[in-house]
Amino acid sequence: MTLALQLAVAGLATGSVYALIALGIVLIYKCSGVVNFAQGAYAMLGAYASYVLLSAGLPAVLAVLASMGVMAGVGALTERLVLRPMLKAPVVAVMMVTLGLLICARAACLAVFGPDQIAFPPVFPEGAVSAGGIFVTYNYIAAGILAAVLSLGFLLFYARTPMGLMQRCAADNSRAALAIGIHVSNQVSAAWAMSAALAGLAGTLLATLNGLSLGLADIGMVAFPVVVVGGLSSLEGALVAGLVLGVLQSFTDGLLTPALEDVLRANTGIYSVGALQQVLPYALLVLMLLLRPQGLFGRRGAERI
Amino acid sequence: MSTRRLLLALAVAAVLIALSLLLGRFGAYLVRAVAIAGIGALSLNLLIGYCGQISFAQGALLGVGAYVAGNLGNAGADGVLALLGAGAATAAIGALIGLPALRLRGLYFAIATLAAQAILEYLFKMLEPFTGGVSGLVIRQPAFFGLPVASDQVSAAVSVLVLLITWLALTRLTRTNLGRAFLVVRESEVVAKGMGLDVARTKAWAFAISGFVAGVAGGLIGFAARLASPEAFTLDLSADYIAMIIVGGLGSWAGPLVGAAFVVLLPEAIQRVGEAFDIANLLSALRELAFGLLIILFLIFEPRGLSSLLPRLRWTQRRQTPGAATGFGERAGAAVATKGGERP
Amino acid sequence: MAAPLPAEAGAVALTAQNVTIRFGGVVAVAGMALDATPGEIVGLIGPNGAGKTTFVNCICGTYRPNAGTALWLGRELLGLSPHALLKLGVARTFQNVASLHDLTVLDIAKLGAAVRAGSGGFFASEKALEAELTETLLRPLHLADVAHTPIQTLPYGRRKAADLARALAAQPQLLLLDEPVAGLTSQEGMAMAAVIRGVRDRFGCAVIMVEHKMDVVMSTCDRIAVMAAGSKIFEGLPEEVQSDAEVQRVYLGEPG
Repeated sequence: MTLALQLAVAGLATGSVYALIALGIVLIYKCSGVVNFAQGAYAMLGAYASYVLLSAGLPAVLAVLASMGVMAGVGALTERLVLRPMLKAPVVAVMMVTLGLLICARAACLAVFGPDQIAFPPVFPEGAVSAGGIFVTYNYIAAGILAAVLSLGFLLFYARTPMGLMQRCAADNSRAALAIGIHVSNQVSAAWAMSAALAGLAGTLLATLNGLSLGLADIGMVAFPVVVVGGLSSLEGALVAGLVLGVLQSFTDGLLTPALEDVLRANTGIYSVGALQQVLPYALLVLMLLLRPQGLFGRRGAERI
Repeated sequence: MSTRRLLLALAVAAVLIALSLLLGRFGAYLVRAVAIAGIGALSLNLLIGYCGQISFAQGALLGVGAYVAGNLGNAGADGVLALLGAGAATAAIGALIGLPALRLRGLYFAIATLAAQAILEYLFKMLEPFTGGVSGLVIRQPAFFGLPVASDQVSAAVSVLVLLITWLALTRLTRTNLGRAFLVVRESEVVAKGMGLDVARTKAWAFAISGFVAGVAGGLIGFAARLASPEAFTLDLSADYIAMIIVGGLGSWAGPLVGAAFVVLLPEAIQRVGEAFDIANLLSALRELAFGLLIILFLIFEPRGLSSLLPRLRWTQRRQTPGAATGFGERAGAAVATKGGERP
Repeated sequence: MAAPLPAEAGAVALTAQNVTIRFGGVVAVAGMALDATPGEIVGLIGPNGAGKTTFVNCICGTYRPNAGTALWLGRELLGLSPHALLKLGVARTFQNVASLHDLTVLDIAKLGAAVRAGSGGFFASEKALEAELTETLLRPLHLADVAHTPIQTLPYGRRKAADLARALAAQPQLLLLDEPVAGLTSQEGMAMAAVIRGVRDRFGCAVIMVEHKMDVVMSTCDRIAVMAAGSKIFEGLPEEVQSDAEVQRVYLGEPG
């Protein structure tokens, strides 16, 4: 029971980081119809930016905020320089260009920082809480809470503020938005900036948990199942699906995998099921697409001839 | 295809085969790498360029081909049989991956293929008796029609031959009703359905045929490397192949070959340049960076791909629409068809 | 080519009754009825949003109506897929011609023929079929000179003609045309109208055409049904439609 609780807490923490990344993907998809493979690259770049700023001696809060600012700029620039010229390109070309961005970002970080994992400077105080037999480091608590608060805050921003309203309007029907005087292309840029900033923060948080490496970019690929399970255009869905997936992964890693391996060892010659928690999101994704393609929170669209 | 084009293709292949037999080891290695990549790119072009089904699972499908061909070859099957077996098995898996496409459209399906890629990669690592697990499957030297492929030159020649057969078969395919149906499905499934086409069956064929060709290409990759290992068939490989068909030009048949040559030879060229400038330790990063940048620049500035440059370099235009002598009025402006992409 | 279905000229072949379809709370087509006879061109007119195209989409298997029947030579059409309908000899054209980048006019005609008759194989030579399609379809539609031209490069009117050729290649007994002259110049429109009459004369099929342009409808159709708000408000000969007060009201608004 304590193990289960411990796994749940750890899962919620990583899950809220997933949610942050997934929110960004959904936001970009809603606003510009682009499925952004570079979201993981934003997370990685954000983490490296935080690392540079922290190493330069900036206080943690300032360093993280500054790196989010940098990432917002990167996001807006991506939209302006890369995506806008491709407005009429076929879907596959747009997907591929974001993959190209991912490749470039990874290569750039490889050139500058090298291939090895780097110890991330402490952002949160060292230590751990132990209560009721469970034991969680401050890192996890802080990362989880920060990610969750930001995700919720973002949802509120999107639902309640005038700028959120303009965003929703631009995403819903760009022509109508233009007609009522909303500067749609600025809204799209803003969406990219916000997504990249959120992803940058997520990357920094992830680096405090697992260390800093090029592998951070892979989180983008985990976020896709999250997004589809939640419903490609549902922000709430991304949040819920992110948390659910984080917890499920944590349980798979801590409970299911050892149990499965025990059974297999006893009955067959197989000793390991490998990184089962890594394929789990994709298995869920396939299941979801077959049972409810519009996702948990998505709505079915119709097409006219 | 006109007889002239057929003869041209045969002549090009004959020259390439003869050349690869005369080449040094490195030259043969390059020819083989381009030829095999060309086969894989043709397969993906059928699926994406012709039928409009975006797939990110090409890397894993090539892997399936390599593992199946490797196992068949190791069990003593002839190379031809092993390649056909790899094709058949991969066709089945490709059709399986395509099943969600019968219900899903566009982006959703593309993301589903990401899942297929991830799950296949996992299986490559897990199915140890068949795949050799993380360390991979060592593949014995194959024999085609009983003749061992002892040198890189011969294996390059074999690859070019298979490429030729694939090219002829696929270009023929696009001039059948099935091939035409692919194009309509690509443009609009709603219209295809309204026209009375069996969309599900059409897509299933696209996945199976594309899978078959991918399996053959994968088998050749396995035979060439003598090893099939999980890290050789990752999403990065899928990205390489998508890059090939986009750089070459979506939906054309010369495009994938141009793209394959580009994507295979570019890193080699960068390697040479890098060695000359003595920056070997930065090379892999630079190679990646150049690759990524080129893809981005290409997509922004030349979304129709390299192969669309060729006709424009020559002055001659394609056969123009003759003016409407009878019937429906005047000629439209030069609304030249673009292959799947228009410039803004 | 496949033998045509036994549709007798003069006998009613299509009887649609009470066709109803709802989208959420909106009743797009409410109890629509229409019949058609081989060799007859029936015009379906009405103001925007009257449900004309939706009705055609119901008959053609694009939409599945909530209620109603449509008997074609005694067989129920509603709920069948477009694929199955073509096998029964029911074909349609599209309001907006799809952009088919790489297909030529002849390609699309061959595809239309294949949908009905099953495809020619991988190695099949299609020379004979090409010649036949060119003679029987493309020439009457004034498309023979552009048989090998990609559809996308043709002017709009000829693209519409190519779409018609595609539908006719399936040898339909019932042909539904969704706004065949919309978007054409009036000169092109008149030419298209002549082609449609020619098709009827030559192939003897029943034609239902949805159209806005009254001059074309009046000069082409043998009978006209007027739709408003999802159901039929009038049916009769062209000259009767022109003089009917209700139709005038629907089209020109309430007097006074």
